[in-house]
Amino acid sequence: MTTQTPSIEDLSTHPVVTRDEWVEARKALLKKEKELTRQKDRLFAECRALPWVKVEKNYVFDTATGKRTLTDLFGDKSQLIIVHFMLGPEWEQGCIGCSFGADHYDGIVVHLEHHDVAFVVVSRAPLPKIDAFKKRMGWRFQWVSSQGSDFNYDYHVSFTDDAIAQGKVYYNYEVQPIDIDELAGTSMFYRDAAGDIFHTYSAYARGSELVGGAYGYLDHLPKGRNETGPGHNLGDWVRHHDRYGS
Amino acid sequence: MSISNVESPRVVSRGEWLEQRKALLAKEKEFTRLGDRLAAEKRNLPWVRVDKNYVFDGPERKETLAQLFGDKSQLLVYHFMFGPEWEQGCPTCSMAADNIDPNVIHLAHRDVNLVVVSRAPLAKINDFKKRMGWRFKWVSSFANDFNHDYGVSFKAEEMKGKFYNFDTSEFPAEEAPGLSVFYKDSAGNVFHTYTSYARGPEFLVGAYNYLDLVPKGRDEAGLPFTMAWVRHHDRYEE
Repeated sequence: MTTQTPSIEDLSTHPVVTRDEWVEARKALLKKEKELTRQKDRLFAECRALPWVKVEKNYVFDTATGKRTLTDLFGDKSQLIIVHFMLGPEWEQGCIGCSFGADHYDGIVVHLEHHDVAFVVVSRAPLPKIDAFKKRMGWRFQWVSSQGSDFNYDYHVSFTDDAIAQGKVYYNYEVQPIDIDELAGTSMFYRDAAGDIFHTYSAYARGSELVGGAYGYLDHLPKGRNETGPGHNLGDWVRHHDRYGS
Repeated sequence: MSISNVESPRVVSRGEWLEQRKALLAKEKEFTRLGDRLAAEKRNLPWVRVDKNYVFDGPERKETLAQLFGDKSQLLVYHFMFGPEWEQGCPTCSMAADNIDPNVIHLAHRDVNLVVVSRAPLAKINDFKKRMGWRFKWVSSFANDFNHDYGVSFKAEEMKGKFYNFDTSEFPAEEAPGLSVFYKDSAGNVFHTYTSYARGPEFLVGAYNYLDLVPKGRDEAGLPFTMAWVRHHDRYEE
């Protein structure tokens, strides 16, 4: 999620004006903000207008209540959001950026569940590892394991040893030089009245910012994202919420 | 918003889907970059020095606006709709607060204090905060002009005209939502840098970010008002 965050200007020289002058400048910017909001509405309408792909494979997940299929994950809802959380079978703990995202959505799952949406987090780690990390982080959302299933590979968030050895994996709809076995994404599915399941949408990389809203606050602040290195991304500063120290 | 795809879906092969998805991805990337540029413009707005001495009722003591920064130089204020006579806080602000609460610790590590402000008296705020299980700092502006000066509380005679969102919108209640940003320099001067209202802080409503992408979208067309489906997180009926 690298961004071109500008270096922080010397804030001591930032222009200071009267309230009236500020309101003038603010109103001019408000026009642009409204334009962007409308553009967002149109863009998301296009996302929903994408055609669908019927899911023919019978994916099975390890869950708290035993083996469950993709259909089961819908519960009594017609729409299913899957968060692809980076926690590989050999990993000691979940990815920091995915944990940051989880802090955002944990509290809103109850609202989505009351608007015909099931919300399930999926990782390839075995279920006991997932459960232990979920407990440590204090999250409540449903988190299942796709270990042993093709699910993560088919939706392009886990990569085979061969692909990694060749240094080229298919991620975010293009072949990229990537050397990690797991990456992040968000996928949407729909179940019709006949019980057929369709894949409707997936977002990866910064596309997940559109759904996660992780940067919404920082983008409004004088210092912005302030990710000055070494990674020029959230790796520069985000920690697990229980690992910030004092 | 239309749910036409749900009523008559177009189902295609994976290959066809990918072609259309890639075309849309180009637009998404363009939109993300537009967002980056607009965010930079927000930060480039000039600032206004805050000369009034606002004093709030905080959880432990009375605190000035400058004190709400704690040891940080940047202060985010979420204007939460909770009027002095109200029985409880607004349900949709509560949905935003569900999203805000776990963010506070991350923001604190970016030189940001996030404080929620309402006009209800502190005792009422404390009771409701306890019921909802939130941890963020929530102070009362009952005794000062803060809410009125920053355009989120209205006097009776103002509720009839366009006084909300920089005098572009009407708001039918005495309280409205918003998000304000302040900066404190090393000499202790406080500056107001930014405020947004209405759909401006919509990113705080994390549930919308997801609903916009599922097949039915927000699905609010048949409701008496947008967000009419939202309840306090402890008040949904099973």
